[in-house]
Amino acid sequence: MIRALIALLVLPTITNAVEVTGLIQGNWVNGDDLTSYQNHGTGVTRYDDNGFNLGQAFINVKQDIGKEFSFHSIINYYQDGEQNLGFTQLALTYKPLTSSKTKFRARAGFFYPEISLENVDEGWLSPYTYTNSAINSWIGEELRTPGIEASLISPGRARGSAWSWKLHAALYKANDPFGSLLAWRGWALHDRQSLNNDRVNIAFYPTVISPDVINGPAYVEPFHELDGNIGVYFGLHADYYQSTNFRYYFYDNRADATKVNDEGLYAWHTIFHSFSFQHKFNKNTRIISQFMFGSTLMGERFVAIDFRSNFVMLSHKVKKSRFSIRYDNFNVVDTGDIFPEDFNDSDGYAVTAAWRYDFNKNWQVGFEYHLNRNTALNRATVNENISVDQRQSMFVAQYRWR
Amino acid sequence: MFLRSTVLLISLLVSPWLDAYSLSVEVLTKKDSKLVNAVVYLTSEQPLPPKSDNSVAHMDQINSQFVPHILVVQRDTLVDFPNSDSIKHHVYSFSPAKTFELQLYKDQQPEAVAFDKEGRVEMGCNVHDWMLGYIYVVDTPYFGKTDENGRITLDVPAGEYTVHVRNPRIKDDESTLVQKVNLTSNQNITFKLKKKLLPSLELYEESDEFSTYE
Repeated sequence: MIRALIALLVLPTITNAVEVTGLIQGNWVNGDDLTSYQNHGTGVTRYDDNGFNLGQAFINVKQDIGKEFSFHSIINYYQDGEQNLGFTQLALTYKPLTSSKTKFRARAGFFYPEISLENVDEGWLSPYTYTNSAINSWIGEELRTPGIEASLISPGRARGSAWSWKLHAALYKANDPFGSLLAWRGWALHDRQSLNNDRVNIAFYPTVISPDVINGPAYVEPFHELDGNIGVYFGLHADYYQSTNFRYYFYDNRADATKVNDEGLYAWHTIFHSFSFQHKFNKNTRIISQFMFGSTLMGERFVAIDFRSNFVMLSHKVKKSRFSIRYDNFNVVDTGDIFPEDFNDSDGYAVTAAWRYDFNKNWQVGFEYHLNRNTALNRATVNENISVDQRQSMFVAQYRWR
Repeated sequence: MFLRSTVLLISLLVSPWLDAYSLSVEVLTKKDSKLVNAVVYLTSEQPLPPKSDNSVAHMDQINSQFVPHILVVQRDTLVDFPNSDSIKHHVYSFSPAKTFELQLYKDQQPEAVAFDKEGRVEMGCNVHDWMLGYIYVVDTPYFGKTDENGRITLDVPAGEYTVHVRNPRIKDDESTLVQKVNLTSNQNITFKLKKKLLPSLELYEESDEFSTYE
């Protein structure tokens, strides 16, 4: 009896091990003069003042529940933004052991679709540059899957093939304001992911806040449910060995664009297609690219835009140093809404170059230079030049425990 | 008198085993290239020495790969599964020769697994779907794997043996992968496969340092 009791008490701690890892990233930034969107400016980078910042801080908790279920969460702290402590991912994964060559996986919770080939480090960080591409900056701030995803996985090696593939399908809610940031602020480039209950500021554009036009707040709360509709996405991955990867995603949040809440936050009906590609020329050199295009609609055609962005990145490793350079290109086109005075057109490009040096498995230092040139017509409504050059450089020290 | 007859009896029993010879086995593909990592083992009608040591064999996990890719052990050998990575692995097999699953956490070493049935054990990892490894369990102390020249040399006592060859890439029927030898001197034999090999897929061994995060 006593032995059985001891076994019951001890077994879960042995078989259900918890893995806790974490990361902290501090930087010294020489920021751009234009006020950041985070402080209600029209700048599209993260930082305003020159000085020290806590760029990233998170704890990654993984807990197995039996043999086929596991729990995973990333708990973050950000010194900037409107919510400082929260989570960016929290999900339960079910992956049964099977003798079949095709495997099944299901996830439920609050998680990222596996769209990005750039954000492949722990905590959805990029191991290449500190500032994410325009596409993945947007995914990090406005897109999450509060829902369920089912996946079929066919590992090629077990089938005797050089090709592996995965199919994903998801149903979710609470991603209704998705698209607002692109329509007003435009594409941005940064590495601040939105937390579970976050708010992302935008400038006080008169047409947005005016009771006579949009009558909305000068912020977006990305993870709201406004219309009760269920959104969908589908993803297809094809991998040649582990050296060449293709990913295609179709996303449609199926929002009812006429729904609005008490804060003046609208549901935005957003659809996009995303193509990601990676090829490793050898062990040290790789190219990563992504192309996304889509559209969003808000209200009774209060805002209607098409958006598009792509990036190409080269990354090369020399001993303990990794050098990466990325070119981003992006635009938003107003497709004709009922408020011509609410300008939504914007476009631009960016170049980001980073060097990261691993002292050991815990410590890393790095430097990044970022330049973007972008035009946003609605800057005229806040008496700013519509075209700006933004420059940002940063030194970064990172400590990781694992 | 008793002592002398005992010595005579022991020397009679042991004498066949004292004459050891080298048996060199070469494995060639259909296209005459050398097959590396082919499992070669000898069986015999005559009694073979029983398993003499209790050493534990190792199937490590390094950079999200099974190392070695192919392990050969004598039946009743214990195999442990260290995890040299800083992430979790979940090793499993559904093979009839050994069905098992092990969750391998960082800094934890589960008990070694006894492989007590002859045959091929194909293993995967439920976390990293590209991982694939094999344990061949053989009922003989005379076994090994071919080197980069497609060759292995086994030092065994004189006698009659059947030589077997195995590899997951070989498509030839197993009944054709045998040769009988009567070992009375050093001997070289060659296996020439009749069917084309399955693709090597060795590029899967080149794991990406960022493959494991989502």
